[in-house]
Amino acid sequence: MSSGSATSPSAHRRDAAPAYERGIRRIVTAGLLLAITLLMAFTPIGFIPVPTPAGSATIAHIPAIIGGILEGPLVAVIVGLGFGFGSLMSPAVPVKDPLVVVLPRLFIGITAWWVFALLRRANKGVLTAILAVLFVLLLGASYEVSKKILWLGIVVAVASVAITVGLYVWMRREEVLVFSLAVAGVAGSLTNTILVLSAAIWRLPELITPAAALTIGLTQGIPEAIVSAIVVVAVVSALRQIHTRRRGARL
Amino acid sequence: MASVAGLRYLTIGQYVPGDSPIHRLDPRTKLVALALLLAAGLATAKLATNLALFLVICALVGLARLPFRYLRSSIQPALPVILVLLALQVLFYPSAHRDPAGAGRMLISWGVLRVSAGGLWAASISLLRLINLLLLFGLLTGTTPTGALTQGLEHLLRPLNALGLPGHELAFVGAIALRFVPILGESLETILQAQASRSVRQEAGTRWRLARNAQRTAALVVPLFVEAYRRAEELSWAMQARCYRGGRGRTHLRTLVFASADYLALGLAACTVAGVILLQRLPLP
Repeated sequence: MSSGSATSPSAHRRDAAPAYERGIRRIVTAGLLLAITLLMAFTPIGFIPVPTPAGSATIAHIPAIIGGILEGPLVAVIVGLGFGFGSLMSPAVPVKDPLVVVLPRLFIGITAWWVFALLRRANKGVLTAILAVLFVLLLGASYEVSKKILWLGIVVAVASVAITVGLYVWMRREEVLVFSLAVAGVAGSLTNTILVLSAAIWRLPELITPAAALTIGLTQGIPEAIVSAIVVVAVVSALRQIHTRRRGARL
Repeated sequence: MASVAGLRYLTIGQYVPGDSPIHRLDPRTKLVALALLLAAGLATAKLATNLALFLVICALVGLARLPFRYLRSSIQPALPVILVLLALQVLFYPSAHRDPAGAGRMLISWGVLRVSAGGLWAASISLLRLINLLLLFGLLTGTTPTGALTQGLEHLLRPLNALGLPGHELAFVGAIALRFVPILGESLETILQAQASRSVRQEAGTRWRLARNAQRTAALVVPLFVEAYRRAEELSWAMQARCYRGGRGRTHLRTLVFASADYLALGLAACTVAGVILLQRLPLP
């Protein structure tokens, strides 16, 4: 690649820039994030192999999440809109209903932005409290499930204990910023999965039943959320020069 | 490596210069006509209607005098995905329901893999529909330069300005994205070659190694984002240096004028949609 100005100055200048400069930067950044989205939606780099029946998870929603985290809700909505239209045109997406394919995509970056804005200023005490609330909610859910199917409830309970302990240990070791980036990545990805599937149940009831949607949600949504967390942390910490425990992304 | 070698030839937004009746149409006409034909293509669920639409699109392509190679290249990148999808549709076609009479007949039954006439039928309809959609987009981008496309889109989005939404800016974002897809594709190729020359393994591991595959993707995607941000920086400096002021009070060197050919084209597009809807109602396969 040709040499040019480094990326880091933009990170420092962003907050101080006048409204005029910020407006242009927003348009241009949204355009480039959208270009990455289209590149991911139309080529094999946007699909990575995962251990589910479908065999691959998409990462095409990640530019929308990153747009939300770095540039705010407006850029996130624009990139999400472009992502929706991209999947409308993409031959890889068999569903062509705009209410299923375009509308839910607008909210991906908004959720990511909101979660990140909420968590980034928190300290570890607040995060621990949030984690505790999440743990109680998960246990409640597992109790509800166990009333219907006992073994599934036990599995959910064990999984929620494991998830909470894992998250807690990781949170103690990692910086708050990195933790909130990962959570924002997961939140954005899950927004995509949940909203698209809900819209599909609503619009195409003969094709996608609630049970099928739940299966797709678990088998596609969870790997996509994990991948999204890893990639979002790597990209944002490289762009904002945040040092993770491993000192930046491993390139 | 081979799978991404053709990135720079991605035809999204590639204009083929020419002077055909289609090239000369107003970009607004082409956008509206594309939207109409797209709606028709999405609404059809029958072979006959899709075939009719395919013929119309072929006639348009002939009229536009686009080279065959260009059209092939606008379908080719999508072909593997399409074929896999079709194979899935044929093999796992729910033969129990949604079948016209007699179409549930099994052609091949081999364990869980069953190929029914209905499955093949549905697959051929989807194939035709996908090809129709791809050809339509190829037709639009092949006959309209990106600048004209943006200008047309901006005009069509003008009602949004009355609502306080930035119509011009939205169109501009789309134009930047379309312009930068091939450029970033080229960057991605460079990144891949740079990593290959430093003996980074290009192919994904088995699909069970999720975290590792995600990290491999991150290693590919991080430089791509850094490059995109660098380019965004350069572009926004260039725009500031040229005193870009958004859509307000902006004039164009070439103003768009609706000619009689445009009204004719719009009328024909509307007729096609009406015809497709009519065909859909007839008892055809």
